Amino acid sequence: MCFKNLPIEFDAQGKPFLRAGVANPYGPAEATPRGAPAQLTAERIEELLKRNGYIKDLDFDPVTRVAGALAFHTVADFQGRKVLEARSMATLFRGYEVIMIGRDPRDAVFITSRACGVCGGVHSVTSAMAIEMAIGCVPPPLGVLIRNLALALEFLYDHPLHLHLLAGPDYSAAMVGPTNPSILERARRSEAPHAEVHGFRTMGDLMDDLNPLTGKLYLEALQMTRVAREAYVLICGKYPHPQTIVPGGMSSTINLTVMNEMFTRLAQFFDYSKKLAAIWDDLTEFFYEANPAYKQVGARRANLIDSGIFDHHEAYDATYAGAAAWGERRWATPGVVMDGQLVTTDLHALNIGVEEFVEHSYYEEWTGDGQRQHFPIDPVGNPLSPYHPWNKVTKPRPQGQSWKEKYTWDTAPRWDRQAMEAGAYARLWNTAVAQKLPANPFIESTGTSLKLRLPQGALPELELEWKVPTVWNAFERNRARAYCTGFTALVALNNWLAAMDRIKLGDTRTSTPFEIPKRGEQRGVGFWGAGRGYLTHHLTLDRGAVANYQILTPSTWNASPSDRWRQPGPYEEAVLNTPLLEETDDPAKFKGIDILRAIRSFDPCMPCTTHIHSDAGVITREVNTCACGVDDEGG
Amino acid sequence: MRVIVAGVGYRNLRDHSVGVVVADRLLERAWRDDVVVEDLSYNPIAVVQRLEDEPPERRFTRAVVVSAVERGNRQPGTVVAYRWDGLLPDDEQVQRAVAEAVTGVIALDNTLVVARHFGGLPDEVVVIEVEPEVQEFGEDFSDAVARAIDRVCELAVTMATDASAVTKLPNAGLGGWAPTLTGHHIA
Repeated sequence: MCFKNLPIEFDAQGKPFLRAGVANPYGPAEATPRGAPAQLTAERIEELLKRNGYIKDLDFDPVTRVAGALAFHTVADFQGRKVLEARSMATLFRGYEVIMIGRDPRDAVFITSRACGVCGGVHSVTSAMAIEMAIGCVPPPLGVLIRNLALALEFLYDHPLHLHLLAGPDYSAAMVGPTNPSILERARRSEAPHAEVHGFRTMGDLMDDLNPLTGKLYLEALQMTRVAREAYVLICGKYPHPQTIVPGGMSSTINLTVMNEMFTRLAQFFDYSKKLAAIWDDLTEFFYEANPAYKQVGARRANLIDSGIFDHHEAYDATYAGAAAWGERRWATPGVVMDGQLVTTDLHALNIGVEEFVEHSYYEEWTGDGQRQHFPIDPVGNPLSPYHPWNKVTKPRPQGQSWKEKYTWDTAPRWDRQAMEAGAYARLWNTAVAQKLPANPFIESTGTSLKLRLPQGALPELELEWKVPTVWNAFERNRARAYCTGFTALVALNNWLAAMDRIKLGDTRTSTPFEIPKRGEQRGVGFWGAGRGYLTHHLTLDRGAVANYQILTPSTWNASPSDRWRQPGPYEEAVLNTPLLEETDDPAKFKGIDILRAIRSFDPCMPCTTHIHSDAGVITREVNTCACGVDDEGG
Repeated sequence: MRVIVAGVGYRNLRDHSVGVVVADRLLERAWRDDVVVEDLSYNPIAVVQRLEDEPPERRFTRAVVVSAVERGNRQPGTVVAYRWDGLLPDDEQVQRAVAEAVTGVIALDNTLVVARHFGGLPDEVVVIEVEPEVQEFGEDFSDAVARAIDRVCELAVTMATDASAVTKLPNAGLGGWAPTLTGHHIA
């Protein structure tokens, strides 16, 4: 029984149904998010601002060191050192859903890739999977394995990039010195526990090399992004926007030479992963010890969602009916964690619990009087909300910004009406707890942790253990992302070995031919993931053309605005819980570092959202940037 | 003396595709061995890495970079050529440029700032900018930009092959304006 708010129950065979006697099962009053926090009303905030001089607006526009266009509004109480209001704003519209209407579905793989310059390949695969499901086309095992490797290599670009180029500077000497000099002074006196792995004797030394532009860790991350991209290009031809991802598999030529060259790059991440985990373990524990209040920076309920990734090559059959089964055989288990508890790993349950709301978004409502719900059930008869992506219609409506009304191009996705966050950490959490990993020598799911056995490189073989955290905050997001680098490298190693076995057997087929049906209506969904987590493309075909296309990205979840119940989105909630720990009493000198740490810990990626301006065409600057963003329409 | 002639921009984005279209056209010409034409429309960090991959004795000594850039203070189709003074913005702006680079932004200023900061560019950088008129998907140019394309190609050829022509260009900050007054110079 994973639903607490939506009136969905399960019969003895585990099949979901709508509870009888609920007149409007998806109405706002019938199903409310119980236990969720709520933003103060705009009126209350205005009153506080008028009455108290120490309560001030604090705006971040743009939020820097994130991908794409994000602005953030807060009202801060500088006396109580807390945040009273938090509003996340995606400031540009993406609009891929609109672009796709009426097109040949084969275009989707290449067009939706443009939603993101960082993770375009993941959009291509997700799109290909949605088409495969709609038309009934199953990739051969080697095609599945190469997709897995490609995805892993995208993450091996993304995670170092985020950890040491985007988030890392928040913990560098250059940032900590001006904002919290006592912390930096303490760091200079503190030995780093994992010096033998990462090579930094003191925490101060480590923070020096997190400095942007000059720090060794910053520069090393730039170099590692190259290694990952080289490996990707070897198996997929080019990046960004690979042309080798197709419905039914991959069109690239895979042989032993290619695989071996790719492996020489992949192997470099085994040692690098050991270092990343050691660095972020040391940083996290150091800050906790220096001031336990850091455990509240970016804290929120552990409500996580992930669609799962890395299909088992012998399990994936591209059907919706089989999704519950093949989903649970993935190398990263799909699932929903609610208040720290894993409540489902079933892709059907995950799918039917998703809704998108637009009360505070620059879109028109698509449900209402006279509007027929296109799909009341999913392809296997499970109930669907009128707010589900298969029923959603994208109707952009630009207008002025108002906290009471509309203030962002992002929508408010919810699962069982709760604000959920997506991320690499959700992938680890589900996989650690579910204990459904395929048998393998490198990764073990214990029920409370993931054990990662990283092979010897320049550093000796090392077993890392990521433990499900007891607190959920900015530090744990970054720590998990560091461990996820090792997890990703080992998933890649498993899949590389399996691919080599296929090749040795002479099974080098990577794709399955297909035809687009010219009659009738078909539906599909790609359940996949970006470096930042959850990614789905919901597709409807009508007589061979795209009739509806909906992209739901990780940053759509994370950057979402408050909903009709005043429940804040994840960035907003995390910032509302963040104490202001900077060592200054002067608001003019205040940098908002803890707020920025909270936001950046999600690895925001907005451009998916931001590709089309509302009236005039393409925003050139963002066209190719990481689009896994917000909007909702966005990616 | 080795020269790289590079286009920077997006494909299928009408006027904003000037850089890549010019690179495509110039690639069809016969060039001396010391001139290389490439499309450098990708992550500027990868551009740095590509330029640094040249062995020391074959490093480029001049870069001619062609791109559409909307400066907003000139007529569509305006062509501006200058020797970039190489002055960089402050570190915070450079850091922002790097963040945009690794997250996929492709833009002339970003490419030049990042490539200069990390030492990927030769000392001599000739910039040829075209003021675009339209920003939308499509393969064709606006009339104003279409009229400028042949001239841009010839200008790029001249700057790639005639050192004396380069010296006649003004030394200017990004955009072709007077040398930047702030920031620091990395030669």
